[in-house]
Amino acid sequence: MNVLIVEDERLLSHEIEIFLTKQGYHCDVAFNGKSASEKVFVNSYDFVLLDIGLPDYNGLQLLKEAKEGGRDASFIMLTARGSIDDKITGLDLGADDYLAKPFSLLELQARMQAILRRKHGLKNNTIPIYDFLMDIQNRSVHYNSNPINLTKKEFDILHYMALHKNRVITRIQLTEHIWGDVLEEDYESNYIDVHIKNLRKKLSAYSNSDFIETVRGIGYRLNMP
Amino acid sequence: MRLQIKLALYNAISKALIIVGIGILMPSIVEKVVYNHIEKRLDARLEKMLLMVQKGGLDEITLDQDCSWDSYNVFKEEYVSIYPLDKMPDDFGARHIENTERVIENEVVKHRVLSQAFIYDNQIYKIEVGEGLSTVDQMNQTLRNFMIRILVIVILISIFLDLGFARILLRPFNKIVNQKLKTIKHPANFKGEQIKSTTYEFEYLDKSINEMMQKIKETFQAEREFITNVSHEILTPISILRNRIENMINEPGVPADVMARLADSQKTLARLTRVVKALLQISKIENDQYVKNDKVSVRTLVEEVLAELSEWQEERQIGIQREWECDFDFSPCNMTLLHTLFFNIISNAIKYSHENSSIFISGRKTEQGYSLSIRDTGIGIKPEHLPYIFDRFKRFRPEDEMSYGLGLPIVKSIASFHGLQVSVKSVWGEGSEFIVVFPEAV
Repeated sequence: MNVLIVEDERLLSHEIEIFLTKQGYHCDVAFNGKSASEKVFVNSYDFVLLDIGLPDYNGLQLLKEAKEGGRDASFIMLTARGSIDDKITGLDLGADDYLAKPFSLLELQARMQAILRRKHGLKNNTIPIYDFLMDIQNRSVHYNSNPINLTKKEFDILHYMALHKNRVITRIQLTEHIWGDVLEEDYESNYIDVHIKNLRKKLSAYSNSDFIETVRGIGYRLNMP
Repeated sequence: MRLQIKLALYNAISKALIIVGIGILMPSIVEKVVYNHIEKRLDARLEKMLLMVQKGGLDEITLDQDCSWDSYNVFKEEYVSIYPLDKMPDDFGARHIENTERVIENEVVKHRVLSQAFIYDNQIYKIEVGEGLSTVDQMNQTLRNFMIRILVIVILISIFLDLGFARILLRPFNKIVNQKLKTIKHPANFKGEQIKSTTYEFEYLDKSINEMMQKIKETFQAEREFITNVSHEILTPISILRNRIENMINEPGVPADVMARLADSQKTLARLTRVVKALLQISKIENDQYVKNDKVSVRTLVEEVLAELSEWQEERQIGIQREWECDFDFSPCNMTLLHTLFFNIISNAIKYSHENSSIFISGRKTEQGYSLSIRDTGIGIKPEHLPYIFDRFKRFRPEDEMSYGLGLPIVKSIASFHGLQVSVKSVWGEGSEFIVVFPEAV
């Protein structure tokens, strides 16, 4: 997978690059609109992470040009301006998704995967977790064809952990994923513990659920070979 | 009352007062003038009569048996009468004038009479010269009637003229009020076109409004740019820190205690992000950066929020008691913002409720409009905090470390953006009730 990171803030671009490289993506970076525009038309990318607020170029303009030029990369807009118009215009111009800064890198990866699934119309959209089988399309989890009745949030948590398996996910990351940033104070992230507790209980009824590991004081990790 | 009507009314009343005043005074003035004339005439006649008596003596005038003499003209309008007096009057020689009624040939006729005593042939006589007043009275009456009619007509005409004139005069003023004050709800929509007027004050008013609105518009625009810049300048470094911490947490070989501290930093950063975002959102709402073109069923939206929060609410074993007397379609509005408004109030209710308690939600029509009430039986709000819970600048952190956050200030700004009334009743230890009133049919 080839990703072009268009971001004038080098430190930020660097962190995104580190993360995505670790996840197995090939990253290319552009720090301004001019070089981004060149790269988009010369190279072939699967993803373009596009900061709208570039110093020399309007990101939306770049998106428009690329789409008109028939580039089939998926565009994810990144913006710190937080203007609602930008979001609407960007999506209208054919961007695949929109992330407001600051965003979680895990969230970025989850969005990228969702775009891939959408784009390739994966029929067999399932994730096996030991003896459990997660069906992303139908939002269900089965154990040997026995459906397990998970709530929406429990499913979202399990899905997020499966997407980022073998990686510590902090409570705040999980909270923000399932609640967005609507909940205010951090003590509410304790509800994540309650959800995990219930999730484990439901899974344990069928099989061992030790693969969900509690990382003391930090969060959780889904261990999978 | 409108200025135009007020002006016309004032003019009409002042004219009426002047005219009524004249109407009251006129007859007596006329009377005085007429009497003055009559008196002069009578004076001359009396003088003539006395001269006649002096010259020719009374013998020329045929006296009656009782030595008196009367002469009336045919219409009883004028008369002269001479008759002897028994004794000398105190003010001999003085002339008296008075109105008297004389019965002449069985007819009472009012006269103005000038009288004087004189001596002739060692006998005291009194001579009276009179003139009938019936014509004068009649004239006065006619004049009065005529005056009243003229008055009414003049007042009516003047009211219409004044109304019309005031209308023309106030046209630029009305234009300023209608075009610049009534219809413009937002400085961004303000067009500073000049409204022509020959009246200095209106011109000045229009100019001042234009200048002020222009200033407000510029400030507004500057604020908009400022918000955008602040967003960018603050959120970008936060973004860098956040992603760096995320990367560091998952670096192999990070000791557990460092990892825990990184997770804590992440939490702190998340808090900072939330505060910045909340403040930016409030500013954006107040800066009118959201559009209002949705139509929303209050009940549906509240139920949506409840569904979103249902797991949390069930987890805390809190029941929801609904009492929908009716629903309300609210438009135009911004659905996302209204969603946030309901979410913040309802999630607060869940947050501050005791386990195993209930939250009561009701929607009903009231005199003020459609009223949505969200009531909990939770911990309530301390009376000393109650006035400030919607105030974003009054932050307080109670002893139990539970902050009210910026959720309610956001609620307030969303409400005022939509013209909604939000109020809260709360008893510390017993629970709170938030009431949102939607204005009926805007």
